[in-house]
Amino acid sequence: MADAIVVQGLNKTYKGALGDRVAAVVDLNLRVFQGEIFGFIGPNGAGKTTTIKILLGLLFPTQGSVEVLGAPAGDNDTKKRISYLPESPYFYEHMTGYEVLDFYCKLFRLDNAARKSKIAELLDIVGLADDGGRTLRQYSKGMLQRIGVAQSLINDPDLLIFDEPTSGLDPIAHKDIQDLILSLKHMGKTVFLSSHQLSDVETVCDRVAIINRGKLVKLGVMEELLHIGRTVITFSSADQSVMDAVKPLADECRPEGNLLRVYVDSEDDVTRVLEAARGKAHLVSVVPQRQTLEDLFVQIVRGAHK
Amino acid sequence: MIIWSIAKTTVGDAMRKKVLQIFLVIAMGLIVISLSFSQTLTFSANQGSTMDLELVKSFGLGLMALAGWLIALVMGVSLIPQEIERRTIYTILSKPVKRYEFIIGKFLGAILTLAICVALMGIVFVGVVAAKAYLAHPAATSIQGAAKQGLDTAGAAAQKIPVIDANMLIGVVMVFLQFFVLVSVVMMFSVVCTPTVNFFLGLGVYIVGLLSSTSLTLANSKDAGVFVKVFYTAIHWVIPNFDKFNVTNVLLYPEMPVGSIALYTLKMTLYGLLFSLGAMLVSIIIFEGKEV
Repeated sequence: MADAIVVQGLNKTYKGALGDRVAAVVDLNLRVFQGEIFGFIGPNGAGKTTTIKILLGLLFPTQGSVEVLGAPAGDNDTKKRISYLPESPYFYEHMTGYEVLDFYCKLFRLDNAARKSKIAELLDIVGLADDGGRTLRQYSKGMLQRIGVAQSLINDPDLLIFDEPTSGLDPIAHKDIQDLILSLKHMGKTVFLSSHQLSDVETVCDRVAIINRGKLVKLGVMEELLHIGRTVITFSSADQSVMDAVKPLADECRPEGNLLRVYVDSEDDVTRVLEAARGKAHLVSVVPQRQTLEDLFVQIVRGAHK
Repeated sequence: MIIWSIAKTTVGDAMRKKVLQIFLVIAMGLIVISLSFSQTLTFSANQGSTMDLELVKSFGLGLMALAGWLIALVMGVSLIPQEIERRTIYTILSKPVKRYEFIIGKFLGAILTLAICVALMGIVFVGVVAAKAYLAHPAATSIQGAAKQGLDTAGAAAQKIPVIDANMLIGVVMVFLQFFVLVSVVMMFSVVCTPTVNFFLGLGVYIVGLLSSTSLTLANSKDAGVFVKVFYTAIHWVIPNFDKFNVTNVLLYPEMPVGSIALYTLKMTLYGLLFSLGAMLVSIIIFEGKEV
């Protein structure tokens, strides 16, 4: 099965205000597999939206190649199989939710009967079945986002490109969208998810790419990226002699009440610390630590800025 | 289906622009108020008869031209930039919509909006002219055949004044055609320019277009150098000749030699269509390579 997205040596530069060239994306290489949820994260101005626009054929690469579902980016036939939800989508405010979806259905050349049933189905999926007759002017931000999601599902796409799909949503709507993304994966769809909600990305994505200043700085399977090999060993009834014995072996020692937490970086150090404390303190727990995506992200981005 | 959907959406969006609604309402209101205009500057529905009627016709056609000009500029300058700014273009072009379909849809929508605006003003204008004609000489008016009898017996007490003046309908059509061309030009600029730049470009093109005959005269001047000749000739042919659409005097005084006004209207329709088609083609070519 071909990859859903293949980006090779992608470079994109813009003309700056002073006539110079400003690099938005630098030598980006990516492969998104079919059926996976792929997280694409980075700080503001990292080049995420530029990359997404290139995938959609809205922008053109300065250099490099981009294939989406086996065809060059922007191919009109391929667009029948993909969908896009932009960040804070705006639709024609004078239209009702129903009319907006009807408009987008027409862009897929659906006939009257197909449009009617599709719109009813979509409004139901996004929880707006009772609000389809209201104009978008009367919609809350969350409802607009739901209409945005609905328009992205019209063509039953194979690849969905979501840019900040949960931005501005209340917790319930947020959870609904998260569940929807997971259900899309179960249906075999590929989701390319760009979001600042790192907990969302961590929860739903199989793999993640971190981009900073246009460059890919991390790419991998979520589990592998977030396991840092650090372990925390907790002792109780540990006196100063235990502290003195383990301190040279540990990355960090932290007394907390009657507990002593010892942080070590390798499995060998775990064994050494346990040996050093044997018979001198009670072992409470040995817990391998897992980094959060937020920790990793902050560490990478701050590291790059230093 | 795609082009028509985009056109319909464009009309709905444009007609809800407050500024466009204000221009339209003010223009229609002023046309209605012109019913009371009189050469003698007194409120009168029947004083001055034919002179008053000419004043109403002249004022109405001029006002429609002014409102049409404002509507064409205000609507046209933001057609594409607004779609980019509001990001609606992203959800549209990420669907299986070809770029030329989007541009043609926007063009069609803009022209339909202009047609609706001019039609609304035109209906009010023709109604006001009819009312003025009827009020001026209720006993002497006739709907059919009056135009043939004309106003050649000016000053005669029993002159025939047509209630429905076909020339005024042609005047409305000419106003539409003139701004149909301007909308096309402005929309072509809107593919590459910001609304503010586009507004002034559109304004410039319109003014130069109104002076097209002058540029031709300058090009044909005996004293003109080669560069001046080429420059003014190019301006004359590249920029639409908006002056040709201004036929108010001919319509008001049909005794002037105008040839066949219907034929002239047809000729100007083709002229407008050609220019608009050219502008649309250029827009499509530019937009195919434009990053949004």
